[in-house]
Amino acid sequence: MKNTIQLHICLLIFGVLFTIGVSPVRAQAADEIFQAAGTPSNPKVKIAFNQYYTAEGLAALGKKIAEAHPNLVKRMSIGKSTQGRDIWLLAITDYKTGDPERKPGFYLDGNIHSNEIQGGEISTYTAWYLTESFGKIPYVTQMLKDRIFYIVATINPDARNNYMKEPNTGSSPRAGMIALDDDSDGLFDEDGYDDLDGDGSITEMRRKSPSGNYIIDPKDPRKMIRIGPDDVVTSQRYERLGREGIDNDGDGRINEDTPGYYDPNRDWGWKWQPDYVQRGAYKYPFSAPETRAVADFVKAHPNIAGAQSFHNSGGMILRGPGAEEDKATYNRADVAIYDAIGKKGEELLPGYDYLTVYKDLYSVFGGELDWFYGGRGIYTFTNEIFTGFAYYKDDKRGRDQIYDAAKDLMLGDGFTPYTSYNHPTYGDVEIGGFKKNVGRATPGFMLEEEAHRNMVFVFYHAFHMPHLSIGDVQVKSLGGGLKEVTATVVNDRLIPTHASQDLKYNIERPDYISLSGANVIAGMIVEDADFNVTQEQTSTPETLRVANIPGNDTVMVRWIVKGGNNMTITVDSAKGGLVQKKI
Amino acid sequence: MHTKYLLSCLLLSFSSLCWSQSDYRSGKEITTTLQSIASKNSKLATLKSLTTTHGGNDIWMLTLSEGAPESLPGIAIFAGVEGDHLLGTELAVEIAEKLLSNHKELLSQTSFYIFPNLSPDASQQYFERIRFARKGNALPTDDDRDGRLDEDPFEDLNNDGLITMMRVSDPTGQYKPLDEDERLMVKADIDKGERGGFHLYTEGIDNDKDGKFNEDGVGGVHFNKNFTFDFQYFTKGAGEHPISQKEHRALLDFLYTQWNIYAILTFGPANNLTTPLTYSKSGASKRVITSVLKEDEKINALISETYNDIVKQKDAPKSAADGGSAFEWSYFHFGRLALSTPAWWPKKFKGDSLNEAPKNKVANFLALADAQNRSDVFIDWKSVTHPDFPDKKVEIGGLHPFAMKQPAYSEVDTIATTHTNFIVQLAQMQPKLAWVNVKQEKVASNLTRITAELHNSGQLPTHTEMGDKSRWLRKINVYLKLKNNQELRSGKPRTVIEKIAADGSVAFSWLVQGSGTVTLEATLPQAGTDTLTLKL
Repeated sequence: MKNTIQLHICLLIFGVLFTIGVSPVRAQAADEIFQAAGTPSNPKVKIAFNQYYTAEGLAALGKKIAEAHPNLVKRMSIGKSTQGRDIWLLAITDYKTGDPERKPGFYLDGNIHSNEIQGGEISTYTAWYLTESFGKIPYVTQMLKDRIFYIVATINPDARNNYMKEPNTGSSPRAGMIALDDDSDGLFDEDGYDDLDGDGSITEMRRKSPSGNYIIDPKDPRKMIRIGPDDVVTSQRYERLGREGIDNDGDGRINEDTPGYYDPNRDWGWKWQPDYVQRGAYKYPFSAPETRAVADFVKAHPNIAGAQSFHNSGGMILRGPGAEEDKATYNRADVAIYDAIGKKGEELLPGYDYLTVYKDLYSVFGGELDWFYGGRGIYTFTNEIFTGFAYYKDDKRGRDQIYDAAKDLMLGDGFTPYTSYNHPTYGDVEIGGFKKNVGRATPGFMLEEEAHRNMVFVFYHAFHMPHLSIGDVQVKSLGGGLKEVTATVVNDRLIPTHASQDLKYNIERPDYISLSGANVIAGMIVEDADFNVTQEQTSTPETLRVANIPGNDTVMVRWIVKGGNNMTITVDSAKGGLVQKKI
Repeated sequence: MHTKYLLSCLLLSFSSLCWSQSDYRSGKEITTTLQSIASKNSKLATLKSLTTTHGGNDIWMLTLSEGAPESLPGIAIFAGVEGDHLLGTELAVEIAEKLLSNHKELLSQTSFYIFPNLSPDASQQYFERIRFARKGNALPTDDDRDGRLDEDPFEDLNNDGLITMMRVSDPTGQYKPLDEDERLMVKADIDKGERGGFHLYTEGIDNDKDGKFNEDGVGGVHFNKNFTFDFQYFTKGAGEHPISQKEHRALLDFLYTQWNIYAILTFGPANNLTTPLTYSKSGASKRVITSVLKEDEKINALISETYNDIVKQKDAPKSAADGGSAFEWSYFHFGRLALSTPAWWPKKFKGDSLNEAPKNKVANFLALADAQNRSDVFIDWKSVTHPDFPDKKVEIGGLHPFAMKQPAYSEVDTIATTHTNFIVQLAQMQPKLAWVNVKQEKVASNLTRITAELHNSGQLPTHTEMGDKSRWLRKINVYLKLKNNQELRSGKPRTVIEKIAADGSVAFSWLVQGSGTVTLEATLPQAGTDTLTLKL
């Protein structure tokens, strides 16, 4: 520890000297750069997307993006984590066009599982790309005129840091940092992993043993081969002793009470189930402060019409239902919309499959995507970032491809060779294996591509959130000072203002289509214009309450009015936004 | 002078002796009583506000215990889970008083966590100018999910201070007077050739002109609908998701740190005390369990028998736990021994020489009230003019909103006494760990075999079958603690035991090399700790 502090001080002094002295390296001048298609050239904020950032690193990047683009970004903390870190959200839109709070909103977050880190960088890439491309790429410019993006790079900042800064496996801690008593001894998180070889990762322990079930692969000493019952073994046998660690609390077990364990993605308020049904559930829905902060934000923003969360790994575009018991929630009309977006995702993300959680992954209660959809009627996907396919763009290479990739693509980086260690319980052991940043986390040289492809998937989804306009308006005189005003409201995108799930339970209020500037005598929804089938609304006819404006479809309304030389039609939809047209 | 002083003093004390509470106490009065209980019993009672509700009311917790409460097995008592059950609150307060005055000795064996009113926003409606049986807290909610908050409340159209019912004469109406008692309205049974003639609504006007009456008034989330088990999404009073309210979070955040609580008694509409829950194989074998488990069914039956022996109230209404309730949570999700009772219900009218007993529950209740010459339970139908029905006959009347929910206040003390006795009995049944048959055997010089049995001497198992599944109940930890000069040659220094049945035991054996003393400890928060020091 002392050595580390000294090292930090040295680095600090070096850094200070470096910055005040004449910089030997200058930034590239604009005329020295040739733009690569599809990527912001010479951006205001320069970010390396071939590395990962801690919670503070992501927070600093978010701050830079916000400060560089004050007309496009508002940065806010939506709550505090268990250890008191801010959970930073970037609200990105063209603040000079329209009411930002009333634009259809797209929510995205990353890193709910602390070790599943790419979401932090993908979210940050998305924020960076939106802001740097506004005014340059018409698609992005229009997107930010029409929509608002709510981007939370990490919703688990404490445990993200724990994953990165403390010794971990590629799969730990996954939880948040609330201490729990996993072994029921009244002590909390008292026997975690121990980085015995000091490589910063928790790898494997193995021991020579005449009765062991493994041998070392004679062609690759990194690999262990399991011995079959009929194998004749001539080389040294080994037994595997599990993850690196010692019995910290002297209870005869190793690593039995690590940080956590609860799963923030079992903490959401749709069909939540307790720990004995759904392992990983904490006390009650939104009992972890991080998920609670997100839920409070989402409840306060009824304009959110699409959402995405990023996990790793496996290359999946997942939709709900999470639990088999919840099959009935996802009805046909909504599944058709999920399918359209998910299948597009398979095109945009080679190696990724569009899947349903309960039948293709596992049946699980209390997930984020289920609450967004079941509880709020928001179409939501979870992407499991990175798949072994990416190493060789080939899905036929099997389990060993990671060994090849570590050797040939990562040039040996990412694997700690086995070395001897004298373990207090096991005696002479060997410790080694893949480091925590290999396997789940995308290698640096592929990270920007993975971020970009996932971002364009988000854009496709966000593009297809409801997009309302008032189309054809006809005014016809009925005689006797009466006029008939007939208007068509258009939604020219895939997603309706109300999902079927929403309509089933009236989750969100109806859309209001209103006429001002005339004395409204009667108002009605036109169900069939050709045969003049209408449904009259007798109370407040000037504000018609329409249950839904379907995707790629129209709604026709009609009023009978007196007067009205300066009429205005307003469509006010929680998820579809606010549009007006003067007649 | 002296005499006069004495006399006035006598008068004063006489009047204070004679004075007694005649009606249910308001939130303010309950608070004052709780504060006085805590200050008069400062060694045994602590009063704490867990949070304040949206309506600004405290959620009080009164803890009764001699010493540190978490060091003893605990019983929690939930009252006021429904805002119109004022009886529960009165009982909780009186039970606390009776435990402190008559059962002090129990408090060194069991801790009590008493939550006298979990719906203080709602229960206050009983004391307002317009009274109705309210269950929702003060959060403005969109009960009819039309985008407007609290836009269609009740109106007291007949100015009697009560919200009752409203009937409108109309040939299309589907309601008719009940044959057994024409004051009551029932849905006409078309299949039996009956005709309606009345629309039936709650008292008020259709403020938002949506054709529905009083469907979105004051009153937000019902305390007893916002729990996690079988939560009823998107229904009136449920809340947007389970445990969405401050009071729920405060209560659960507290309880999830109290490992010692083994039982929760809820005063509310659920009832597994006069009639125990019954096991269903299909409900118990699914991933999401919806039936009491087999072993817990037996415990429930045993406790129910105890309850009926002590409380002796017949003809209890059917249990009502309709999803999202505190009682269901306390068993299915918190895994504790869960008990619930309404504590009181109307007696049944059995009929007399003149009158046959009506079958309809309300008619039966009215018949009994008539027999007792009570005139305060039914508000007779009287015509009013109604803005929504200008040309129709509209009458207001019906059952008093609290008539069937609570007894006359004078009966409360007796109910409190029987329920205190039941709780005392329940505390006697609690699981208790004790070392028995502890033996030492010299195997060789300086080598001792210790054998012992850990016995649960209580009438209840250490864990319910449900609780055994939960991470929120600790397992039993057994330690053999040695000194530096001693070595354990056989047996484990720490053993974790899942559970011990009532009157069950687990045998242990250790081989210790060395001399001096060793300590044997068995500990489980909900069953206490037993420690023995042995000299080798």
